[in-house]
Amino acid sequence: MTPAPPSDAELNTMIRTRLAMLGIDLDQLPAGTAADPETGAPGRDTALASLRSFMRGTVTPLAAYQLPAPEGTGAPADPALSQQRAPMMYPSISVEWRK
Amino acid sequence: MSPRRHQHPHPLPLDHPLPIDADGPQPLDRTVDRRAFLARAAAVSAAAGIAATLPASAASGSAASTGSGGLAGPAAAPAGLAGKDRPGLDVASAYAKPRPAAMADPTELTLAEAAWMIRNRQISPLELVDAYLARIGAFEATYQAFNTVLADAAREAAGAAGRRQRRGPLHGMPLAIKDNYYTQGVPTTANSFLFKDFVPAFDATAVASLKAAGAIVLGKTQMGPLATTRATTPAGVITTVNAWTPTNPGVNPGGSSTGTATAVAARLAAAGTGTQTGGSITAPSNAQNLTGLKPTMGRVSLYGIIPLSYTRDHPGPLARDAKDAAIMLTAMAGEDPADPRTEGLPKVPDLIGAATPVHTGGRLRLRWSTRIGVLPGYSDGTSETAAARRAFLSAMAAIRGVTLIEVPFPDEWDLLTGNEFNNVRLPERSEPFMPYLRSDLRGFGVSVIGWLQGALMGANEYVTGQRAKLLLLERVLDQVFDRCDVVVQTSPTPFDAIGLPEIGFPIGFTSAGEPVGTILGGLPYGEDRLLSVVAAYQAVSDWHWRRPADPPAAQLRTPAGRGRISAEEAAEQSQ
Repeated sequence: MTPAPPSDAELNTMIRTRLAMLGIDLDQLPAGTAADPETGAPGRDTALASLRSFMRGTVTPLAAYQLPAPEGTGAPADPALSQQRAPMMYPSISVEWRK
Repeated sequence: MSPRRHQHPHPLPLDHPLPIDADGPQPLDRTVDRRAFLARAAAVSAAAGIAATLPASAASGSAASTGSGGLAGPAAAPAGLAGKDRPGLDVASAYAKPRPAAMADPTELTLAEAAWMIRNRQISPLELVDAYLARIGAFEATYQAFNTVLADAAREAAGAAGRRQRRGPLHGMPLAIKDNYYTQGVPTTANSFLFKDFVPAFDATAVASLKAAGAIVLGKTQMGPLATTRATTPAGVITTVNAWTPTNPGVNPGGSSTGTATAVAARLAAAGTGTQTGGSITAPSNAQNLTGLKPTMGRVSLYGIIPLSYTRDHPGPLARDAKDAAIMLTAMAGEDPADPRTEGLPKVPDLIGAATPVHTGGRLRLRWSTRIGVLPGYSDGTSETAAARRAFLSAMAAIRGVTLIEVPFPDEWDLLTGNEFNNVRLPERSEPFMPYLRSDLRGFGVSVIGWLQGALMGANEYVTGQRAKLLLLERVLDQVFDRCDVVVQTSPTPFDAIGLPEIGFPIGFTSAGEPVGTILGGLPYGEDRLLSVVAAYQAVSDWHWRRPADPPAAQLRTPAGRGRISAEEAAEQSQ
């Protein structure tokens, strides 16, 4: 069963909680939507709106992406069995390793 | 009570043969190729290395005072590049007799031409530096290309260069250095409030290598805050203008290596350095009629460069033509023990030779026969850019050794190079900045949203993104480079994610007088072929010889109201 997409309020709570667990207090930013005139840092409501958009627009699609199964390894629906390629931070360097 | 450590009564040095060794093959632990191992381990160690490279957070309480009261970065200076894995700089093809029209003004000269002038004692390093300083004095208020101009130090270095034995084509060359490269004793801010007081104790490896080759640091250049957007103040106020449109700050000068591009295009420096994480060398090069080379990941050390996204940051040159880019990259490239990503790679090839046009029987030909891949839609449409691209392809097709080949976009190209997968880079910028995120969010200025986004991405998504990068690379190799040797780019960013080399260069102008450029991408460590193709094109075109007019007298003071980028816009435009 697919869970219902989170509401704005739920996302706000999640974002603030996640950041707080990392030691980041969003209240360092100015209240509301007006940017700090000195530094240009956004108001916390502006930041929250942007972060909600990021969670919905980037995190959700990335999490939903299903890598294709390498040839001959099984159905893509069984990713744990499909012998996916190892993650590679430096793909171009890895070309030299695999020559 | 802690146990007493067993002490061998007669400890043996590590390289002493053990007395009980049997004949025959030895165990692998002493014969493994350490260098190859280091390269393989780079994916793990680079994260730690980059954290060590970031200047200490003042707010973390760990900042140690430098001599000038700034933040303290790592104390260890890079070992420097031994040069054993790269060709020499002082080769005949690095020097070019100047065009007659350029002889009257030293700032018109390319690096290769200025090197010829210095080698033949037609000009001294001090005269060359003074010529550039004169232009900076006259026009910098309008261009705002620099954060810091090192006039006195540059003149002193030029005087010393004039008294010293010549070192090669970079001897006495005044360069513009992007302000995220460490420069010993000189503020290095990355245009951020966070590093406004940071004064490195040493030069970045790339800077040290350029200086060792005789180059002179003329100044540190304006850039997008923390290497994100076009150059602005940390608060988002637009600073640097496009050298071709100094009266119109609305024309994008390209970012984030904006100040270097403007300095080189406006003849305030002979060449310069940039960094590219998402188009930041090739985009400003295209915007300002320059030749910019983003090398393959690992070709140039990142040690001593303030990080943005450590798997995608690429240092490289912005120059006036392919030959100059080759000279710069030859000095910058090579193995650096301080950056394991540079180790275990192919040797740096003869880039300067590669960037030298070849003529047979008086007729130009490519140095190496090359299939140029053309992606769907590259030159379609009625825009001036499309027309310039068609003219570029026609010019290339007329050069012997060129074959134009239509190539497809690889499977899922739009998805794997799109915004979502591009955002996989974001945790790489937030992780080393955690102390600042905890203590000084406003110190990120208009750039803060991207760093908060990175802190929100989960490890699952990050790992998926890393897997997808390899998938994308394999598809590019199997579905594009199986048919061609270089390929046109329709966006400056896809090859950044997978670390492949790109070269941006001019192919025309719009009717409004703004430069039009294009980008070619290559195979891993294929910088030599890219340079050879662009050098051949520049032998049959003259766009790269054109220089912008000086700003009108009425603009010689900083005009008010250049505009401001908001935090939301910075997040959208961020490299």
